[in-house]
Amino acid sequence: MIVRTPPPKRPRSETMHPDSPSAAGSDRRMVIYEDSPLAAPLHESPQQHSDHLLCTYQCRQMVKSEFLDALSSAEKQVCDYQSRFETMNENFGKVEAERKKFLDQFLYAEQELAAAKGREQALQEQLLKEVNDYQERFRRQIQSQSDLECLHQKNEVEQKLSNFTFQEDSSTDSNILVKHLQEELRNYEAEVREARKLRSSHENIELLKEKLLEEKVRKERAEAELPKLQEFQMSMKKLEDELSSWKLMISEIPGVSCSEDIPVKFAALQKEVIDSTMKVGDANARLKQLEVALDAALSEKQNAETEAALVKEKAAVSKSEVKRIELMLSMVTEERDKLRNLLNEFKKMKNDEAGEEVASGTLVQELESSLAKKEFCIKEMESSLHAQKEVNTRQYEEIKLLNEKLNNEARKIKSLEREGDRLRSEIALLESKLGHGDYSAANTKVLRMVNTLAVDDDAKQTIEALRTELQKTKEKLQAVEELKSQSGDAGTLVDSYISGKITQLKEQIATLEKREERYKTVFADRISVFRRACCELFGFKIVMDEHQRSNGIPVTRFTLQSIYAQSDDEKLEFEYESGNTTILANDYTSQPEISRQVEIFIRKMNSIPAFTANLTVESFNRRTLS
Amino acid sequence: MASKTVAKDIITLRGSAAIVSEFFGYAANSILYNRGVYPEESFVKVKKYGLPMLLTQDEGVKSFIANLNSQLSEWLEAGQLQRIVLVIMSKATNEVLERWNFTIETDSEVVEKGVSREKSDKEIMREIQAIMRQIASSITYLPCLDEACVFDVLAYTDKDVAVPFAWIESDPKLIANPQMVKLHSFDTKIHKIDTLVSYKNDDWDEQ
Repeated sequence: MIVRTPPPKRPRSETMHPDSPSAAGSDRRMVIYEDSPLAAPLHESPQQHSDHLLCTYQCRQMVKSEFLDALSSAEKQVCDYQSRFETMNENFGKVEAERKKFLDQFLYAEQELAAAKGREQALQEQLLKEVNDYQERFRRQIQSQSDLECLHQKNEVEQKLSNFTFQEDSSTDSNILVKHLQEELRNYEAEVREARKLRSSHENIELLKEKLLEEKVRKERAEAELPKLQEFQMSMKKLEDELSSWKLMISEIPGVSCSEDIPVKFAALQKEVIDSTMKVGDANARLKQLEVALDAALSEKQNAETEAALVKEKAAVSKSEVKRIELMLSMVTEERDKLRNLLNEFKKMKNDEAGEEVASGTLVQELESSLAKKEFCIKEMESSLHAQKEVNTRQYEEIKLLNEKLNNEARKIKSLEREGDRLRSEIALLESKLGHGDYSAANTKVLRMVNTLAVDDDAKQTIEALRTELQKTKEKLQAVEELKSQSGDAGTLVDSYISGKITQLKEQIATLEKREERYKTVFADRISVFRRACCELFGFKIVMDEHQRSNGIPVTRFTLQSIYAQSDDEKLEFEYESGNTTILANDYTSQPEISRQVEIFIRKMNSIPAFTANLTVESFNRRTLS
Repeated sequence: MASKTVAKDIITLRGSAAIVSEFFGYAANSILYNRGVYPEESFVKVKKYGLPMLLTQDEGVKSFIANLNSQLSEWLEAGQLQRIVLVIMSKATNEVLERWNFTIETDSEVVEKGVSREKSDKEIMREIQAIMRQIASSITYLPCLDEACVFDVLAYTDKDVAVPFAWIESDPKLIANPQMVKLHSFDTKIHKIDTLVSYKNDDWDEQ
């Protein structure tokens, strides 16, 4: 996370002990950590040893921080991978569901298309048949008409001929007349044939026009459905491409060969993460133990240093005392020598001057008094020394106590610094989560307005599209009306022709509908007779109805109830589809007796009639016995 | 909109809610202008917080923000609003590119007891001005939005809040591995608003 205000910098370490003047003045240089400080030379000075330990601590701190950074980055990566994996899984599931949905839709559309084509073909065949029937009738009628005409003409001609036979006297004129009449007859016959041909060709033309219209309509329908098919194909291709890309991604993941391996891999990764966090925890604990030990060692070292310093001081003090005592001793020896010299001189003087005994006595007294004074001074000095020593010991003890307090405070400071680092890292993590947008679902929910601008934009776009379509259709309608008005007489002729055709077709439709109604009533009568007969003969009331499965395929369902059934629940259900009959499970067939019979007769022996016959006999026996 | 007394510094809960919702309205407009979500010519300049601020003239956006602000005021007065997020998404792919996050801390004592607080209006305006300047200068470090974008607003509320009409529950529309920049915050002593923008790592920056 990038923050505008960087976290506050930690103060320089206060581990520099104030009582270690030698360490205070040394340079804190970075040295590569060596595993065996004990292998260092024995003459290594305490300063280098302290530097070595300090370096070790800093290196370990660096290693620890690097390790923690690497761990945090690894954890983040794992989280990213987890989230990516979850999104991939979700997308995969969605894609699969969409693909299945599209497949189902595609199959359904294909089936509908096939069914529509079949219906079209049936309708066309029916229409063709009807048209052929009409054509034949029409031909017969025309033939009969033409026959009638010919007969009539023949009769006329025969009458004429018979009239002409009375006039057999006329010779060539009558022959010519006959020939003329015969020619006329032939011409009439030829004309009749031509008329028939024209009529048939006209009918053919009309049939062809109708067929052309039908074909055009079919073509339009097929063209309308083609883009849908293309869209389905495109979406199928897209889904297949997506699926292949997902499969490639899956193949890129090491240790995963198929989608089923992904949860296993994920579980393995989670276990690894858990193990690594446990190891990290152990390493942290060990690290902390080491830190504590290091701190203890440092404090001991500091104590040792202070003690060494104190000892040095003591040594210096004792040296100074010794010097002082030596000085005193030298002074005393000097005085003694002086006194000795004086005494010798006195003795000389005594030898020389016996009469000066009184003066010598006073000298001796003076010397004795000076000696006593000196002794007194010495005693005073000894007492002061003793007092000084006591003061020193008291100060030393105070210093010790202060040192201990200082060490405790230093330990507290370190622990607080560690706590502060941990809290700062927690704060950074929480801030990053906050910035990322995470929230607690127990306390918070996320809402958004429904009437977003995108929806409005989409609605506006659809409204505009509909408006343009409406405008176009209005223009087309205007053009058609203009054309109609321009066409004039041709238009009225066409209209009358069309309206005549329409009335004809309507009459045909009315007759066909009446026929259909008649067929239906007849069929209903016959089928009820058939059903009653089946019930009487086979002992089962059969109800047939059409159902549609979830994939859109229509199936016929038969519900059978035995006439010897003791309750309305005793019903058998069968499903019939393209020649195959299957029994459906229900409460009645799940009873142990019935299910046993189903198992034996239907599943093993594959005979439904045997099952129903056996059931009828058993029901009859039960009825008669009861 | 602080209630004026002789001291002119007292702020009530309603006043604070009005300040915050007004701030959000202007901030949203500024973000939409600076990030190029709507064309520049659809904005008009007005004076607010001592700065020239840009407001959209698109009727749809205006009514959307107005309806939003009225609901936000209601939630702020009830102390039920935790966060407002303005999300900028790609129009083509619906991928979330930026999240402007306004976190709200409400003084619960004010909501429960109806007490008021004291703070100088000038001080609040100065703090809001700083945030507006930062939003305007954010284009220097935010990645360019080269494609057509749309925006949406999410409200993080308490769990027990009744979902109003024309609002639905939504996913938080997060960005994976975002870059985050924390902006200044402002405080009315009743509502404290922290601003943060998180954005999708630009591919060019990652190279």
